Amino acid sequence: MITLQNVSKSFSQFEAIKSVNLTIEKGEIHGLIGASGAGKSTLLRLMNLLELPDTGDVEVNGQTLTRLSAKELRRARKSIGMIFQHFHLVANKTVFDNVAVALQLAGSRKSDIRLRVLECLQFVGLEKMAEKYPAQLSGGQKQRVAIARALANNPQVLLCDEPTSSLDPNTTAEILTVLNNINQQLGVTIVFVSHEMDVVKKICSRVSVMSEGEIYETVTIEPLGIQAIDNRPEYFVQQLKRDGE
Amino acid sequence: MQIMLQYEAEIWQSIGETFVMVGVSILAAILIGLPVGTFLFLCRKGQLLENRYVFSVLNLLVNVIRSFPFLLLVVFLIPFTRLLLGTAIGTAAATVPLSIIAIAHYSRLVEQSLLDVPKGVLEAAVSMGASVREIIFKFLYIEARSGLVLGLTTSIISFISYSTIMGVVGGGGIGDFAIRYGYQQFQTELMMYMIIIMVILVQLIQFTGTTVSRVIDKR
Ligand SMILES: Nc1ncnc2c1ncn2[C@@H]1O[C@H](COP(=O)(O)OP(=O)(O)O)[C@@H](O)[C@H]1O
Ligand SMILES: [Mg+2]
Repeated sequence: MITLQNVSKSFSQFEAIKSVNLTIEKGEIHGLIGASGAGKSTLLRLMNLLELPDTGDVEVNGQTLTRLSAKELRRARKSIGMIFQHFHLVANKTVFDNVAVALQLAGSRKSDIRLRVLECLQFVGLEKMAEKYPAQLSGGQKQRVAIARALANNPQVLLCDEPTSSLDPNTTAEILTVLNNINQQLGVTIVFVSHEMDVVKKICSRVSVMSEGEIYETVTIEPLGIQAIDNRPEYFVQQLKRDGE
Repeated sequence: MQIMLQYEAEIWQSIGETFVMVGVSILAAILIGLPVGTFLFLCRKGQLLENRYVFSVLNLLVNVIRSFPFLLLVVFLIPFTRLLLGTAIGTAAATVPLSIIAIAHYSRLVEQSLLDVPKGVLEAAVSMGASVREIIFKFLYIEARSGLVLGLTTSIISFISYSTIMGVVGGGGIGDFAIRYGYQQFQTELMMYMIIIMVILVQLIQFTGTTVSRVIDKR
C-alpha cells in the first residue's frame, strides 16, 4: 500500500531522514514510534509529499507520488487522509463545513456533499454537532471532526501524526476505538505516529521504531486492544493504595 | 448652525467629494491591495509560493510608498496622474495618489492578518489536495476574515485622513472645505462643524468595522 525506497530528507544541513526503506501492507495499522526529534513526523509527511524527499521514491496506492505532476499529486492526496495532534480545523467554519470542504475540493455535487458529510459525522458520533463551531467542542470532539474530514473522500490510507498526544486517557481510548473501526470496518490502512508506547501497543499490528532519522527495527506484534478505562473513584483509590504497598 | 445653512450646497459637495475619493481608495484597496497583500504573505519564507525575489520587490515597493510623506507622494505622482487621466487637477485626479497609498497601506495589513492564520490549517488544506487558489479562498480568507475587516476599517479611516489634504491638487473634500472656508476665512465655527462631521464619520466606520469583525469571528 505504501512503499518508501531509499527516501532521505535534509533540512539545510541536518539529515532528518537517512535513506529509509519501508513497506506498509494494505489493511495494517502501522505504528511509528521513537523519541522526540527521531523523524517520525517527517517520515509520515513524506508519505503524502507534504515534505519533498531529496532522494528516493514514495509509492502510495500503486502511484509513485514522486513522479506525479502537481495536479495529479493533488488528486492523489484526496485518497490519502491525514490527521494531526492539534486537529487543524478551520475555526471559522462549522463542523459541517469543515467536513464539506474536503468534498468540495474533490468536486462533489452539492446534494451528495450533504449526505456524505452527515454519514461521516455519524461514523464518528458527531451528527448532532453539525452546526457548532470548533471552539465549542472538546479536544476529542475536534479530533473526531478531523477524522470525519479525512474520511470524507473514502481514502485508502489514513496518516495520523500523534492524534492522541494532546488528549486525556479517556478521550484517547475513544479516538483509538474510532481509528480501529475505520481500519476494521472500512479497510483503511493506517499509519500511526506516536511517542507513547502503550498507545501504539493497543492498536498497531506492526511497529517501526525510529531513531535519529532511521528505522531501527520493525516489529510485528499482537495488538492488545482498547480496554475501557475505569473511572470509578474506588478504582483510583484501590490503585493508589496498591502502589503504596 | 446658521453658518452651516449658509454654506449648505458647498458642504454637501465637499462631502460628496470625500466619498468619491475615499470610495475609490476602498475599491483599490480591495481589488489590488488584497491580492498584493496575499502575495506578500504567500511569497514569504516557508509559505506556499515562497519566492525571495517577488517578496523582496513587493516588500520594498510597499515600504517605499508608505515611507513617502503623503503630500510629497501626491506631488511626485503628478506626471503619472496626468499620463493616466490627462489631468492632474480635480477630484478624479486626486483618486490616483490616494489609490496608490491605499493599496500599499491595506496590503501590509492583509499580510499581517494572514500571518495570524495557524500554519497547520494551511497544511491540512494541502494534505486534502487543495490548490493554491482553493487554499486562499476556502481556508486563508475564511480563517483571517475578522482581521481583514479590522484592517480595512483602520485603512478606511487613514484614507479619510489622507483625503483631507487633496485640496493641493484641487481634489476638494471636507478637509479642503474646512481649510478654505473655515480656517483661511477666519470662520472658526464652520471649521469646528466640519471637524465634528469627520469625527462622527470616523466613529461610525470604526463601530461598524469592530462589530462586523466580532460577529464573523468564531475562533
Ligand atoms: N521544517 C523543518 N525545518 C528544519 N528542521 C526540521 C523541520 N522539520 C523537522 N525538522 C527537524 O527534523 C528532526 C525530526 O523532526 P520530526 O520529524 O518532527 O521528529 P519527531 O516527529 O519524531 O519528533 C528534528 O530534529 C526537527 O528539528
Ligand atoms: Mg512529531
